Amino acid sequence: MRRRAVVLGLGATAATGLLARRAEARARIRPPGALPAGAFEQTCIGCQRCAEVCPPKAIRFTASFAADGATPYLDTRDTACTLCMKCPQVCPTGALVPLAAEDVRMGEPVLDRSRCLPWNGSGNCRLCYYVCPYPDRAVELVGAHSGPLFHPEACVGCGLCEEACPDLATAIRIVPKGKPK
Amino acid sequence: MTPHPARSRLQPGDIVLRHARSYTWVRRACLAASFALTFAIPAWHLHALSQWGRAPGAIGPPGALSLFGLELIDPLAVTSVALARGPSLSLVLLALPALALVLVLGRFFCGWVCPYVPLLAASNSLRWLLHRVGLAPLDLKLPRRTSWAVLVAVLGASALSGAQLWPLVYPPSVIGREAFRAVFFGGLGAGALLIAFAFAFDSLVSRAGFCRSLCPGGAMFSLLGAASPITVKLEREKCTGCTACDVVCNLGQSPMTGRIDEGCERCGKCVASCPTSALRLGRRP
Repeated sequence: MRRRAVVLGLGATAATGLLARRAEARARIRPPGALPAGAFEQTCIGCQRCAEVCPPKAIRFTASFAADGATPYLDTRDTACTLCMKCPQVCPTGALVPLAAEDVRMGEPVLDRSRCLPWNGSGNCRLCYYVCPYPDRAVELVGAHSGPLFHPEACVGCGLCEEACPDLATAIRIVPKGKPK
Repeated sequence: MTPHPARSRLQPGDIVLRHARSYTWVRRACLAASFALTFAIPAWHLHALSQWGRAPGAIGPPGALSLFGLELIDPLAVTSVALARGPSLSLVLLALPALALVLVLGRFFCGWVCPYVPLLAASNSLRWLLHRVGLAPLDLKLPRRTSWAVLVAVLGASALSGAQLWPLVYPPSVIGREAFRAVFFGGLGAGALLIAFAFAFDSLVSRAGFCRSLCPGGAMFSLLGAASPITVKLEREKCTGCTACDVVCNLGQSPMTGRIDEGCERCGKCVASCPTSALRLGRRP
């Protein structure tokens, strides 16, 4: 009987739902134009089209077990987004919405001044400022040593600064928007 | 030559498919193309990226393909998003082309497109081999309602849990992402374990058991394609009752007795297996 199957299914639903809630998807940096966290994971069908068209190959899928294992994310420390804006155009379900590059808000930068070379006095470094697509708006250089000062409200969260930040510093981290730090 | 070992039952591998008078080669070409494209489309895009050249007109895995702008999205995907986020006009329009195919052709995806089918064929060959060496694998017949339960469970869990969960357990989707990963970055992820599980289950526990009684997509296609006008037709006067068609069917249909339901994938293997040409694919009376 199909009815019994449906009842069985609903039981399994409750069990999986509970398990998945417990697992709670880790907040990740999503491709540009992504719906807000929550809505994005519900709308993405894991078709990997966004990743197929990504020129820097920045869009990834986790290789491990996760409830949101079929959804794309960016590891900006490894490879940043170049804001080419191709990925929202190929998304079939509207999990990624086409928009202008400067309106993207993938995440925001968090600077650890104790690791940042100009701020901790170990030397000159302006890499984050030089690679930023919106210099003087999203990041400006301040103080005697020209240390970076980020303005999260103007930052798209592309991660070019995080990618460029030297390995001996790794002072910049892009965190998903709205995530408690 | 030693005599053929006594067998209690015919095995699918024992049955000769008469390729000349069926769609067998067309179907095999479709399946091979689908499997190849699962890898070739990411590879083509990768090439286009590295050369900054033109990208191909096709994008996406077999279950979410866009061909020159024509969207062919798995009905399971669209249904699940509609349940989680509420239906919308754009989702309905997105679903239409594939839905039209399913309404007419029924569960054809499973027999003609799904990139898991080459693995299923390998699994069936492995079963046949095990039979021949005297290590008959189990053939548990899970009730088909199991797949209905799985369908309800994954749709419900996807709607409630806050993430689409079916892409993690649906072989075409998993194979698509693992193929992408292999092509772009090399290596495989956790999805490969699901495919390995399905292969082991089909090979050792239940013949085509994953497709028949666990796959949520198969249940979805069966549900939507229940009114399909295409079916297998039997000319009773030609039938000798040899059971070849029933044995060769992966999905537990019985063309010999005329018991064909919405679970039929229209693969036409029964048609090809019939020694007296008593079967053909045709319109439902």
